Amino acid sequence: MEAHLYLEARLKMVGSATDFTYKWCVNMGFDKDDAARMALAVDEILTDIVLYAFKDETGHIELWFQYSFSDIEIIIQEKGEPFDPDRHTYDPDKAIKENDFEGASLKSVRSMTDQFLFLNRGKDGKEFRLVKQFDSVDIRERLPNPYPEQQEEEQDDDSQSDCDYLITPATSEDAEDISKLIYRSYSYSYSKEDLYFPRRIEMAIRHEYKFGTIARTESGGPAGYFAVLKSTDSMIGEVGEAVVSPQNRQRGLMKMMLKSLIEMSRQRGLLGLFGEALTAHTFSQKVNQKFNFKSTALVIAKSPKRVFKGMDFKSTENVSVVIDFLPLTRRWKKPVVLPEQYTDLLNKIYDQFESHLYIPTKKTKSVTESEETNLELVIHHENKTVLIIARSIGTTFELSCKRMFRSIEELNLLSIYFDLPLGNDNINVAVKFLKENGFILAGLMPLFHEESDYLRMQKLMTDMDFENILTYSDMAGNIKETIIEEYYESHKTQTEA
Amino acid sequence: MKVTKHKQKLEVILESDFNLNAVKHISSLMKDRSELSIDLVNARFVTSKAIVYLHNLMHADKQISVRLKNPPKIFFELLKTLELHEVWNLEEIVQP
Repeated sequence: MEAHLYLEARLKMVGSATDFTYKWCVNMGFDKDDAARMALAVDEILTDIVLYAFKDETGHIELWFQYSFSDIEIIIQEKGEPFDPDRHTYDPDKAIKENDFEGASLKSVRSMTDQFLFLNRGKDGKEFRLVKQFDSVDIRERLPNPYPEQQEEEQDDDSQSDCDYLITPATSEDAEDISKLIYRSYSYSYSKEDLYFPRRIEMAIRHEYKFGTIARTESGGPAGYFAVLKSTDSMIGEVGEAVVSPQNRQRGLMKMMLKSLIEMSRQRGLLGLFGEALTAHTFSQKVNQKFNFKSTALVIAKSPKRVFKGMDFKSTENVSVVIDFLPLTRRWKKPVVLPEQYTDLLNKIYDQFESHLYIPTKKTKSVTESEETNLELVIHHENKTVLIIARSIGTTFELSCKRMFRSIEELNLLSIYFDLPLGNDNINVAVKFLKENGFILAGLMPLFHEESDYLRMQKLMTDMDFENILTYSDMAGNIKETIIEEYYESHKTQTEA
Repeated sequence: MKVTKHKQKLEVILESDFNLNAVKHISSLMKDRSELSIDLVNARFVTSKAIVYLHNLMHADKQISVRLKNPPKIFFELLKTLELHEVWNLEEIVQP
C-alpha cells in the first residue's frame, strides 16, 4: 500500500502531509512514537523546502511513501531553488552562545530517522530520502538455540508423501510459527532476515505484500512454509521464501506447497513468478528448473558478502543470483524492438517461453521520439545497491543519466542496476551510452515493471571472481559467458582510458 | 488552537503538532506579554523551529517566561539531540 502525495509548496500544507505521514506509518505497522518521529522528520523537510527552496515562489512537492518488510522509506521530491543541506551543519555551541541554529532541522531529521539521504539531480530536481526500520522482536532473541545447524535445503523432496499434511493459506496469525520454523530449520543462516521477525511477517501478510502456504503436521505443528512476495511495480511475484523443517523433508512437501502457491498466484491474477536463485551453489537453480522456471538474467553482487552457516560451503563472494521466470499467462507480448547488440541472446531467452508468448507480426504502436526521460531511483540500503528504472527514454537520456549518476556517486555501492524498457526505439542509444559508462549486461527482466519487459544492465563497483558464480541451466551459462566477456572488455577499456 | 489571553500571559492549548505554523500563530498573539503557557496534550511532536522559537523567547533581552504542559516524549529526545536539554531549566519549564 504505497502512497503518493502531490502538494502545493505552502506552509499551510505541512500539517496535512504530516497527519497523513503519521497515520500511514501507523497503518503500516510503526508504533505511535516511531510514526511521530517520521512525521516530525517530514515536517522539518517540508518546512525547509517551503522556506528556502521556494521562498515566495509557487511550486509543488511530491512525497512517495514506500513500504518494505524491514523499513519504511519516504521520498520527498521538489524542483525549487538548489540548496545543499550538507553545508548547513548544526553547532550546539553556536546555537547557545550566538543564537545561530543553522542546521538544526537536518540534525533533527537525522536523529529521528535511521537513514537520511539528500540527492541533488540538478534540473531533474532534488530528493530527500527518509528511512526508518521497523522496531520489532527478533525471534532469535526469544528462543534458545538447542537446534543443530542444518545441512542444506529441501532440494530433492519430490518423493511421495507418507504423512498427512494440512496445507492452508498462511495468515497473519501464522507469523510466529513461520519465524520459529525458519529458526529451527536454519538457525541463523536463512538469507531473508525479515523472516526472523514475526511482526514483519504479520504486517506483510496482512497488507497482502506476500501470500503463501503453510503446511502443518497432523498434530498441528508447522512443517513447511512457502510464499510469494508480490511486486509493487507489476503483476508478478517472487517465489522468495521457502522452508521445510528437517524432519519433514524428502516427502514431497515442497512440491505440494508450490503447486498450491502457483494456483493462488493465478487466482490473484499474477502474470508470472520469478525466483532469485543463489549462485554460490546450484541447489535453488535446480529446484527452479524442476518446476519449469527458465533462466533470464544473472544479477551480480546483489547484496554484500554473506557466510551461509550450517551449509556445506562458505561463500566469500558478494551474493549474486540467477533470475528464473515462470509465466502464468499466455498473453505475454514479446517486444518487437530488441536492442541490436543483444537480439540473438534475447531471442534465445524468449524462445524458452514460446508457448506463453504472443508475438506481434508487426509493430502495433509507434514510439514517437519524446524529449522526456523519466528515471526512477530505488535504493536498497541494506544491500548497498541501487536500481534505476527508465520509465521512458527520451532525447535527454544521457543528461538525465549523468545527473542521476552524479547524485548517487557519494553512496558506497556494490552495484548499480539499470532497467531499460524493451520495445522502445531509443534503446540502442541507451545501451550504447550505458556500456560507455561501465555497464554490462544482466539479462531480461520479464514483466518486471508495469507489466512490461525490461533489459537489465549492471555496473559492478567491486572486483568480481566469476569462478565462484555457479550456474545450472544452459541459458544461465550463456548469459554468464556474455557477462564475463563484457566485464573484462569494460575493464580493459577503463584501464586504457 | 484554544487561546486564553491575560494581560501578561498567553495560554494556549494546541490542537495539533507544535511546528512553524503554530509558532507563527502564537507569535502573532504574544504581543508584549511576558508569560507563555502551552499545553501540548494534542501534539505528537515539537519541531526544531518551535524549539528555536521558545529558546529565543526565553533568552531574549526581555525574557519571556515559558511553561509547557504535557510535552510528548519526542520533545525531550529532540531537545537532547540539539544539546539544549542542559541549558533549559526543564524542571521549571515543564509543568505537571
